[in-house]
Parts: sequence; C-alpha cells; structure tokens
Amino acid sequence: MTEETYRLNCFVENKPGVLARIVGLISGRGYNIQTLNVGPTEDGTVSRMRIDVLGTERVVNQIILQLRNCVNVIEVTSRRR
Amino acid sequence: MFGYPGGNVVDVFDHVRTAKFRFVLGRHEQGCVHMADGYARATGRPGVAIVTSGPGATNAITGLATANVDGVPLVLVSGQVPLSQIGTDAFQEADMTGICRAATKHSFLVKSADEIPEVVAEAFYIATHGKPGAVVIDVPRNVQEATTDARYPERVSLRAYHPESAATPSQVNRLAKWLNEAKRPVLLAGGGVIAANAAGDVAALAAKAGIPVVTTLMGIGCVSASGMHSLGMAGLYGSYAANAALAAADLVVALGVRFSDRVTERCFPNGVHRARLVHVDCDPSSIDKNVTADLGIVADVKDLLTTVNSRVKPSLRAAWLARVAEWKAKHPFSYRQLRRGVIMPQAVVEAVDRAADGRTLLVADVGQNQMWCAQYFRHSHPRRFLCSGGMGTMGFALPAAIGAAIARPDCRVVAVAGDGGAQMTIQELAVAVAERLPIVLVVVNNGCLGMVRQMQDESFGGRRCAVAFPRVHGAGCPDFVKLAHAYGAGGVRVTDPAKLDSAVAKAMRAKGPTLVDVVVDPEANV
Repeated sequence: MTEETYRLNCFVENKPGVLARIVGLISGRGYNIQTLNVGPTEDGTVSRMRIDVLGTERVVNQIILQLRNCVNVIEVTSRRR
Repeated sequence: MFGYPGGNVVDVFDHVRTAKFRFVLGRHEQGCVHMADGYARATGRPGVAIVTSGPGATNAITGLATANVDGVPLVLVSGQVPLSQIGTDAFQEADMTGICRAATKHSFLVKSADEIPEVVAEAFYIATHGKPGAVVIDVPRNVQEATTDARYPERVSLRAYHPESAATPSQVNRLAKWLNEAKRPVLLAGGGVIAANAAGDVAALAAKAGIPVVTTLMGIGCVSASGMHSLGMAGLYGSYAANAALAAADLVVALGVRFSDRVTERCFPNGVHRARLVHVDCDPSSIDKNVTADLGIVADVKDLLTTVNSRVKPSLRAAWLARVAEWKAKHPFSYRQLRRGVIMPQAVVEAVDRAADGRTLLVADVGQNQMWCAQYFRHSHPRRFLCSGGMGTMGFALPAAIGAAIARPDCRVVAVAGDGGAQMTIQELAVAVAERLPIVLVVVNNGCLGMVRQMQDESFGGRRCAVAFPRVHGAGCPDFVKLAHAYGAGGVRVTDPAKLDSAVAKAMRAKGPTLVDVVVDPEANV
C-alpha cells in the first residue's frame, strides 16, 4: 500500500495536556506530523486540531481508531489530501 | 491499597492511617503497582496503589505499562510537588502525566481540591470501562493539604469517552449463520473473555455447538484444560493441537484477543488466515490492527455470546471433535530428561500441578518459566493463572502473587519465577512475611537467563553473552534459601528429583510464605 497524506480533523476537549497526548499517540507509532493547526471553536471548551500525516490507509485508520479511544477526543474525521 | 510513602504524598498518608481499607506497604514502587495489578487480575476489581512524586512515580511506570497493555483495571495516585513549584525542577519533581502518557489509558493532574471527587470517580470509570487499563491521578502537595466541600458524584458522564458498544443485528445474524454452517470451527479466546467474565459463556458455546477452544496466553483458564473442547494455548509456544486446529479450521471466531505477534507469527502469518475469521473485541482499534477479519464486531464479549448462544444450533460435530481430540492425545507437551539425577524445569511445574487443587492460583514470572507454567499446568479456572503477557515484565510474579493472595485468601497462591526474575523483586518477600501471606515462591533456578540463552543458542550460533548467573556463592547468584530466611520466610532447596514432589507439596501446606529453590538443568529449552 502506498503512503499518502491524510488530513485528520479532530474536535477535542480544551484541557491541558490534550495536545501532547494526541501528538504523542501519532509520533509514538513512528509517524511524522507534516502540519499541525490548533485553534478554538465557538464553544470555548472544545478545540479543533487539523493534523496532516503521511501514511498508508491502514495505518491512518489505526491512528484514527486510537485517537477515538482517547478520553479527551470528541470526534475525528479524515480525508485524503 | 498498596503503596509507598514519600515527602510529596505524606499528607494523604495522614488519612491512610485512619482509613477503613487495608493498606499494604510495599518495598519498591514497581512492586506496589504489581501488587495492585495482581489484586485486579485475581478479582476483576480495580487495583489501587499510591506512591510519592519524582522517583516514586517513575518507579511505578513499569508496573503501569504492565497492567495497561494487559487491560488490567488499575488506579495509581501519585504525589506531586506543589502547583507553585511545578516546572521549577523542584526536589523530587517529575512530569508524571507526561512520563506516564504511553504507559497508561489516561492520566489526571489535579489542580484544585474541589476537583478531587470528580477526578477519582472518572479515574475509576475509565479504568474499568471499555478495554480496562491503568489510570494515574497526579496530586500536587498543596492540593492534598487543601480542604473542599465537593462531594463524590453519583454518576460519571464523560463528554468524549463512550466505550459502550454492541453488535448490530446483522452482525449477530452473520456470526450465527457462519457458526451453523461451519464444518471445522474454532474459538480463539483471549484475555478479553476473562476481563468480561465471559469464560462460562465460551464454554457454553463450545459445548452446545461442538466447537473446540484454543486460547492465547492471556486467555488461559477460559475453559478447563481437561475438558474435551479445550486444546490449550495457541502460538509460538502453543500446543500442537491448538495450532493444528487453527490451521485446519474453516471458521475462526476470535474473542477478546488483540492478535499479539506471539500468536500471529505462528498462526496468522502476514496478518491473514485462509479460514473465515470473525474478530470480536470491545476495543475498536484492535479490529483489523494486526490481522484482517472477514467480520469485525465491536462488542462486549459476554453480551454478544449471550445472544449468539441462543442462536446457534446444537451440534455434535463428532468428526471434527474426534480429529482435534486425536491431535490433543497424540501430541501433548513433552520434554526429554537431559541428564540423569538433575531436575528438569518442566518437572517443577508438573510437581506444582500435582500438588495443586481446585483452589490453587498460579502466578508466573517471565521467560522460560512462564511458558512452562502455561504448558505443563492443568489450568482449570479463569483468573487463576496470572502473568505479564504483553509487557513481559520480569519480576512480576512475587509482587503480583502478594496482591492475588490478599484478594483471594481462599486460594493458595503459588508464584513461579526464574532466578533472574526472582532477583528483580525479591525484596517484596518482606511484604509476604509482614502480611503473613502463605504464598509459595518457586524459584526455577537454572543459574542463567534461560530464554535469552535459548535465543543465543538457536539464533546466534550458541555465542552466549550476559546470561549466566553462576550458582556458586560469591560468583553472583545469592543463596535463595538463606535469603528467604533473612526475610523471615521459610526456605528449602531441592536438587534431587525424587524429593521434588514432597518439597513442593509441603511448601503449599505451609502457614507462612515459603521459597522453594529448585536447582534445575540449565540446558532445557521451551
């Protein structure tokens, strides 16, 4: 399977340590984050993260499932760039 | 609660003194967490440990990772420097929530005493719901000193964590249909079955539909080894019958397994299986992770089996069961006596098995001894065989046995460890003595790190390096009997094969903790 860039759109709880948790989950699997954008949403308790990662479909799906297992992650969607 | 005090958790200990629960003082923080882990594995209830900041917290990491990877519910409270000192490299400061991130399911840094009740409730909820795991609550010292009127919440509702899941009707239909159609089905049961308290449901399905059961290392005890449907452990060090049945099956239903490489390398090379594969697990990320399933079902194993059991047709599958029974009868685990008059390590586990009764709880360490415990003991109950599966943590057996003995005073707990693993946590023998726990620590003493020695022999042309612990006093290996006596435990050495059975049986009747140092043939391989 070929590696492609995927954009992960995450809505997460706006709490300390959540960014580190998500970045650690991705980097801990040996994958490099190409772009990372974090910002507020209209709801001050929720942050939005846009993360671009390079990987195969299978690996990116694993990352998404593991992100969804994260206690602070509300929603993750992805699309191929 | 198991733990070890220190300067940044001493305020909590002022209340431990008067608490209603039993507190057990360990001798090292790793040991304390393994004790809580053993307690949790033996009961299914979350284990709890408490340690101080800095080195107390970092010492706990191995224990956390060990519990977390095996899906054991555990809550660790760690002290932390006062909030005002965080980030200043204060004395005994370590970034615990940072360090433990990859070794836990979740962690909390408590910022105010008002948060404590809610955080504690959430920690226990997270530790015990979905795939169980280890959760850390890091509490700065000034928060410990503060008072609050906050009450323990009646129920926990987490905004972003909803692990409950159930099979869809179409998934249940398909699984039932495939089970009814299959000529050579096999159930592969893992630790998730035990965690879900679904061992009885697996046995019921096997009996009703005539399906043989193989287990992973963590699934041992799901079905009684002596039962006609039980084929033992699959994988690298698994039984012939289990691996042959998986290879010959036309349907494999994997229940509560995560397909570790110990199983897949042997039974599912390249992550595929030519039979139909159904994978049931409560963790969505475990489906299609290492092995691609034809049908992946995210569900509680017990709930699913309750439904499926009512939907499968009773079947004898006489031909298939006869075939696997023949494999089981013809190819039991076996070993060759290498030298006359020298005890074989496998015989040590057989001796423990002969001395065991229905209330024996076996805790294995890691390495060759662990595989022999899996192979040569006739496991009969869930939660009666504990070992570190995923992390493979040497030194696990003795402290985990202490936790199990406290949890199950009705059971006789026997820990089996090599001389390597025993030396990693031997200090916890003091706890067994202080708490008057009648545990048996059997040291399978081969004077070397057997599993690594075996790897060097098999894959490195016999070039042995850093594996020998010469059994000569003054050369590095302690006199385990004297060591046991020094801690106030009983101790006996066995070198004669003829005296092995009686020594083990006597230790298992002893009133207090007893170490049995069995000198075995160092050249035995798994």
